[in-house]
Amino acid sequence: MAKEAPDEFLRWTKEKWGSSQLPIGGTVPYHTAYGYKTGDWSAFKAIIDKDKCISCMNCYYYCPDSAIIMDDDMKAACDMEFCKGCGICSKHCPSDAIEMKRVTR
Amino acid sequence: MSGVRQVVGMTGDEAVAHAVKLVNPDVVAAYPITPQTIIVERYSDFVNNGEVDTSFIPVESEHSAMSACVGASLTGARVFTATASAGLALMYEILYVASGMRCPIVLAVANRAFSAPINIHGECTDQLICRDASWVSLFGESAQEAYDETILSFKIAEHPDVMLPTMFGIEGFIVTHALERVETLSKQQVEDFIPASRIVRDRFSPDEHKTFGSLVLQDYYMEIKRQQEEAMQNAYKVTKDVMQEFSDLSGRRMEIIEKYQLEDAEHAIVAYGATAGNAKAVVDRLRAKGEKVGALKIRLFRPFPTLDIAQALSGLKTATILDRSATFGSPGTIVQTDIASGLYGRENVPSLHGYINGLGGRVLTLPEIEEIFEKSKDYNDVGMNSTTDWVGYRS
Repeated sequence: MAKEAPDEFLRWTKEKWGSSQLPIGGTVPYHTAYGYKTGDWSAFKAIIDKDKCISCMNCYYYCPDSAIIMDDDMKAACDMEFCKGCGICSKHCPSDAIEMKRVTR
Repeated sequence: MSGVRQVVGMTGDEAVAHAVKLVNPDVVAAYPITPQTIIVERYSDFVNNGEVDTSFIPVESEHSAMSACVGASLTGARVFTATASAGLALMYEILYVASGMRCPIVLAVANRAFSAPINIHGECTDQLICRDASWVSLFGESAQEAYDETILSFKIAEHPDVMLPTMFGIEGFIVTHALERVETLSKQQVEDFIPASRIVRDRFSPDEHKTFGSLVLQDYYMEIKRQQEEAMQNAYKVTKDVMQEFSDLSGRRMEIIEKYQLEDAEHAIVAYGATAGNAKAVVDRLRAKGEKVGALKIRLFRPFPTLDIAQALSGLKTATILDRSATFGSPGTIVQTDIASGLYGRENVPSLHGYINGLGGRVLTLPEIEEIFEKSKDYNDVGMNSTTDWVGYRS
């Protein structure tokens, strides 16, 4: 599934909308964060051992960036475009299936 | 029901609680603080007696009270809260969130002095310092005005051209705890005046996917703030219209500024809140002595009715500004500096004499106001066209 910011949002950022066009109060469509690939901030990446994953979904709920995806077998996977490498998933994994590895760029 | 005027004896706080009961908001989140407490106490009675449908959220602080109000308002709910002094100061951070996210919350302020030294009595500084928070700000003189402004505020705040939170102030104890005559409205009148539910543009709901409170940086922040300024400018006309409509409904004249005996006056006493009542009484006494003097009461503080005040004061010799608020090292009293800015560069303007008085509930008597009036005239006679004094304290 392609993660793209909504068209409406992309249009007004491209056209640089002003105060009379923008919705009031800074309220914007959802999924605007898809426009910002925050994964490239990360100093660590989550390496998930699918054999150890017990499908508890702790990591899914704890991830502050919604970067954990449950695959077709209900095993956790990490979306590296949005994972900031915080390691919360790893701390909360009851089966030690997630290891944080330093990223070298 | 219409045509039958019911008169009830109520304190200012009770008047607010009874008016909110007629509005029957969806959510009230509040924390008690003297002298606002009775509003919250009475209203929780109504909730627990099943007289209203409101969800009452007893929170642990005013910061939480306003936060709960913001959350509730974003779901499309009609929301009310009340506070005073230190409570309003604790809300201060969230006041900006409420206006920035365009939540038409209504807030009753029982104006009270700030600590320290700790004091629970009337003073308007708490509300005046919220002037830049993008809240529509009104002051009431009496329990009757507390009652009326409660109802008005919902209509102003929720107007689609405004969508800004609205606060109105009544002075602690002087109005909040004084038993006065209040003409009430019927449930039907209020239902006709205020729509059953408010217009909601973006609703925080599982069915409508939106992002609220997103990070907005250099590229869009100023546009969002500019929207608030335009809404505030719209609030000026909307408040005028709503007050006119309310006057027609209630038979009580309600205007953004009130002019008393100003038609042929040479001097004006300018006041807001409860002090305005004294100002009018002093005008009567001075008129009896042959002084050509009138009173100007400011009911709407934000948006500041600059033009209306300039017109009302045009051609006068002096304006004596009674300000029950403290400010330190300022070029004038809080309201005086606003009036001075509005008059600057205009012709036929009076000399402006601001008086900081009544702090912490200190009484300013009618003879004292007469003395102050004489002082303003003396200043004017020697050509001093802008003065600021503290009055009514022991040096």
